[in-house]
Amino acid sequence: MKNSNNISQELLETVERHLNKTMSKQEALDFELRLAEDPQFRTHVADIKTLLLGIGNQSLKERLDEFHEALPESQMESSNSKTKSTMLWGKFAAAILIFAAIGGFWWFSTTQNERLYAEYFTPDPGLPTTMSSSTNFEFYDAMVDYKQGNYKIAIEKWEALSIENDTLDYFLGVAYLADKNQKRAIPFLEKSTQNTAFPLLNDAYYYLGLAYLKEGNIALAKKNLSLSATEDSQLLLSELEKNP
Amino acid sequence: MSQVYKIQHQLQLINAIKDNDSLALKEFYMANYPKIEQLILKNSGSKAHAKDIYQEAFIAVWNNLRTGRFAPENDSALQGYLYQISKNKWLDVLRSKRFKSTQSLTEERSLFLSQDEETHEDPEETKRLNLAMEAFKNLGEPCKSLLKTFYFEQKSLRDIASEMAIEESSVRNKKYRCMEKLRSIVLASN
Repeated sequence: MKNSNNISQELLETVERHLNKTMSKQEALDFELRLAEDPQFRTHVADIKTLLLGIGNQSLKERLDEFHEALPESQMESSNSKTKSTMLWGKFAAAILIFAAIGGFWWFSTTQNERLYAEYFTPDPGLPTTMSSSTNFEFYDAMVDYKQGNYKIAIEKWEALSIENDTLDYFLGVAYLADKNQKRAIPFLEKSTQNTAFPLLNDAYYYLGLAYLKEGNIALAKKNLSLSATEDSQLLLSELEKNP
Repeated sequence: MSQVYKIQHQLQLINAIKDNDSLALKEFYMANYPKIEQLILKNSGSKAHAKDIYQEAFIAVWNNLRTGRFAPENDSALQGYLYQISKNKWLDVLRSKRFKSTQSLTEERSLFLSQDEETHEDPEETKRLNLAMEAFKNLGEPCKSLLKTFYFEQKSLRDIASEMAIEESSVRNKKYRCMEKLRSIVLASN
């Protein structure tokens, strides 16, 4: 930015229209022509564009710093040097061996029902977090945590909302279930199935069935699965019927 | 949920990032950071490097998305693009003289460095842009908020005017004067 002549308000707004693509065809042609012919004009336009890009980039950067603060702790551990990472790998390998041993033990000792549960349970992928109207901001903000697998944080934020809503009940239920707390999940899922017009009703019955299966209450598991029309519910139900 | 839902979600995510939707940006930022951190930690970098490189790449992707220079068909294409830009930026750092003089060249790192890439930005342009960013960072209130609300959050003059309880024409005027102020800071620091 070498030229210290003032930039007029008119020029600023012309560049804004150019960037927003809100110029008329004629104006855009005139603009391009002048850019090609007038070096001073070209410099001024470039200066304004740099300023606008600077505003956008810096604003975004400040927001990214906030997001960075919100990254979960697990990603904040460092493994910088080579030796350290080798050591870590060693520990990792040991951990895998231990897990494998426990896993083997778990596999043999666990019941058929728990195996079915593990096979069928995957958390609901969550709602798109793109409708940030101000009233729903907190709900969708927690949805971001939910989708990252930070169920405890999501639950905390959702419970703080203290509003009555079947979608909220449903996601609280699924989040508790994903957090391995089916006892807390069941009441929320039960509540979300109360409204027969609830758009996620089939999913709610499915997860409720899974929660009861995890609890070992096969009768209620079957009952709720039978109320869900999803393919997985029917598959799981037929497996349960096979091994009464 | 269903495949249709997933595709719909991806398109929404891309559009929402273009529109600066705060939650979409946050979701995209948080979901992609771990992979890039891993890449940089594995290749002689630190956590601080990872954060800087990732944020630079993120801003570049966001700009290219908004200007239409990059038009992904789905969000895995967008993720791949973000990864590639981060990687190229990190290669540039590793190749830079300053970095080389403080680190010995291990075999592993030479291998990483031998990869082909091209991201050469015009250094003059980068310098001007950095000056503008720095000036905006230190612009001071109320100008900073006003310019951010108008240009970054893309609120209309009318909405800003009603929030500030002043005339639309005076917001327009203030905005121009704030731009002049920003420009004078850049000129002074040149």
